[in-house]
Amino acid sequence: MPRASEKQLESTRASSEHQKTWFAELRRNVFDEKKPYAIAQADMPLELFHLLGVPVVSNQWWAAVVSAKQLSGYFFDALHAAGYHEGLCRYCSLSLASSISGDPAKAPWGGLPKPALLAARLTCDCIQRVFETWAASFGAEFIALDSPGATHLPPRWWELSRDRWRELYEPHRLDFMVAQFGVLIHALERISRIKFSPARLRSLMEGVNRQEEYFDEVRDLICSAPQTPVRMNEQVINVMNAQWHRGTDWAVSHARTFRDEVRHRVEQGIAAYPGEKLRLMWVGAGLWHDTDFYTAFEESLGAVFVWSMYLAFGPDGYIRYGLDDPLRALASRIVSMNEQLHNPPWANEWIVDQAKRHRIDGAVILVPENSRPSATGTFFIKHALENAGIPALEIWADMVDARRWDGASMRQRVAKFIETRVRRA
Amino acid sequence: MSGAFEKLLWHYQHRSAEALAQHKAGMPVVAFTSSMVPWELIRAAGCFPVLIGPDLDVLDKPTPLADSLMEPVFDSRIRAIFNDVLSGAWSFLRLLIVPRTSEPENKLYLYLREVTRQKLCDKQPPVHLYDLLHTRSSISRKYGIDRTKDLMQRLEGIAPISSKSLASAITESNAARAALRRLQKLRQGEVPRITGSNAHMITGALYFMNRAEYAKLVGEVCRECKSAKPLRGPRLLIKGMPLHHPRLHQALEAHGAVIVAEDDWWGSRAVEANVVPGRGVASIISAIFENYYLHTPSPRVLPAAAADRWFQDSVRRRIDGVVFYLPPEDDVYGWDYPRQRDFLQTSEIPSLLIREDAFCGLSAGANAQIRDFIQKIRRSRHAARV
Ligand code: SF4
Ligand code: SF4
Repeated sequence: MPRASEKQLESTRASSEHQKTWFAELRRNVFDEKKPYAIAQADMPLELFHLLGVPVVSNQWWAAVVSAKQLSGYFFDALHAAGYHEGLCRYCSLSLASSISGDPAKAPWGGLPKPALLAARLTCDCIQRVFETWAASFGAEFIALDSPGATHLPPRWWELSRDRWRELYEPHRLDFMVAQFGVLIHALERISRIKFSPARLRSLMEGVNRQEEYFDEVRDLICSAPQTPVRMNEQVINVMNAQWHRGTDWAVSHARTFRDEVRHRVEQGIAAYPGEKLRLMWVGAGLWHDTDFYTAFEESLGAVFVWSMYLAFGPDGYIRYGLDDPLRALASRIVSMNEQLHNPPWANEWIVDQAKRHRIDGAVILVPENSRPSATGTFFIKHALENAGIPALEIWADMVDARRWDGASMRQRVAKFIETRVRRA
Repeated sequence: MSGAFEKLLWHYQHRSAEALAQHKAGMPVVAFTSSMVPWELIRAAGCFPVLIGPDLDVLDKPTPLADSLMEPVFDSRIRAIFNDVLSGAWSFLRLLIVPRTSEPENKLYLYLREVTRQKLCDKQPPVHLYDLLHTRSSISRKYGIDRTKDLMQRLEGIAPISSKSLASAITESNAARAALRRLQKLRQGEVPRITGSNAHMITGALYFMNRAEYAKLVGEVCRECKSAKPLRGPRLLIKGMPLHHPRLHQALEAHGAVIVAEDDWWGSRAVEANVVPGRGVASIISAIFENYYLHTPSPRVLPAAAADRWFQDSVRRRIDGVVFYLPPEDDVYGWDYPRQRDFLQTSEIPSLLIREDAFCGLSAGANAQIRDFIQKIRRSRHAARV
């Protein structure tokens, strides 16, 4: 049987390699040469930053770097000592903490230098506070994209998002988002002295479509193969890196290579774990500090994680056909991104559909502790899965602070769930 | 206190009573979930507007209907509203309007829609999202005006709205505003003549009553208070999570404090400026919108400088100390605390942070902190006088 930690796909290695090179370049540009850069939330229209040549450090990525250096405890304690109480959302605040509390020089690579711009979409009520506080500490500009509420809520949104996005995402919301993009574009143009070109955006968006079509094929292969040809961990590595650089030549060609490799494995009858008997789904953000968790139930129970949102959301959330107005198409990609993953009816309906397509036997739902506002929608998801005959287990855990994660007892709980509920079902 | 006060207090405590009475009398009732919804529009459509409180006595009761669908991360007020609606208590509403005052309210709207879609409750009123955004930009402003027009259209499905009905709703509402401003003056004047807890409850009654009657009753209370015994004690302002009950006020008053203001839509910020209408429906609508957009507090107001303005102006007006109220269920206002605390420090105004839930009663430790805080202010006021 393949070892749990082994990377089985060549594309996974290539993807990690590319990411390393990119990190090194970002580090050189931003930290060594102090070139202008932006700090942004991961759900921002990264396409615009990319097009206008402004490197982006995402809040989430920097938090992961700080975490990886075992500094999350230090900075959270310091944030608390500065008066920010412990009930506040942690997921998005570690990076801020590394800039404003404790000894910022302790942060990796001497800490984030002053960015030219900070930018975030105002989903929850905390994020504007995180970013405004952060921007003030740097003396830098903060651009917020406010988040208009959805009122047109067809449950099977993924059947409309590719071709009928103009009505699905509501014209008034798209108008609003496009107008806000104007402000962002203006700021990016000022920073980079590159002029925005709709034609270049269109071709980048076409690249994104091609890339996501490859991911769509990979998803189909995972759904139809008797056993999953690629573990969830490796799906995530291949997809996340490409999504970050979405639409670029590298990303498109990487998605194609990944598709080819997965197809080859299916044709050859190669399973990620040949002992696969039960197929699991992971609902929620990834457990970055304990990725071995996802292979922990293979040997003992034959249970393999085959699904997470990272691969599946690509084709359903990103593809947009009809790019005559690429900015509007981009607005439709951004305006409900988070909502599709966390709010009813969109999240529950989509996840059940995915579970059925992937022949899922059981689902584990991560509810983030200490990022309270992002823990919503999970009960609707759980009920929907259970009503569809798919046993679901909720686990409450902190996604950032590794100190609070009890890997052993979580493994026990999930193992018990598989034994008592998934197997029996 | 007098009959007028007793009546106001009764409405504050029996929050759905008037709405039910109006419904029984044949008046269509439209409810909303926080103060950001233009009362005048609902009124102009010939409806009785009411806030879903919920009642004080349900706040510490179990919420089994909500609990199976709503994660524990929602605060108790939103959860109680959800539970109340699911119980069928509001089935008589013609419309329930949820504003996008906060993300939990936006989610409440989505949860209610989902309950309808899945047919989990058959006693639910129709819901409408009033998507007023709070970023202060010309783009959000235009978006807000358009959403206000949408809301008007929705209400016109109940009854037509004319410039005349709008004007009369504005007159009614402005009268209540004027009465409340008089009440604020009595609290904040040289010598306050009404306790903060009483003023706070009187203010809160605004959301559950007919505004013409409300203005009359508040006017009576103000007249009586003029001859009331002056209150002496450290003048405090409360800041933090909105207070839909009087228990924190009462706990502070028990130690001799005088609460003169609270930065909160249940208290001093229930109303500010009058709506100043122009001519014609379009200009009246934008005047109404403007009033709510610029003067109603919301956790989503951005930039912070705009959100902080009222607070910073108020503490400069004879405030001896500020109490920050961040109960355990807070996950938003705590982000503002260090900034506001630092502002007070530079202005040499003492502050105290309460991190317990005052509704359930404060611990002996918190009470001791309050006592020490108030004594410290007293001593420094005394020292300043000699
Ligand atoms: S998991 Fe949800 S909150 Fe986190 S980055 Fe993804 S969409 Fe945003
Ligand atoms: S609620 Fe979500 S977006 Fe907001 S601060 Fe928390 S993790 Fe970030």
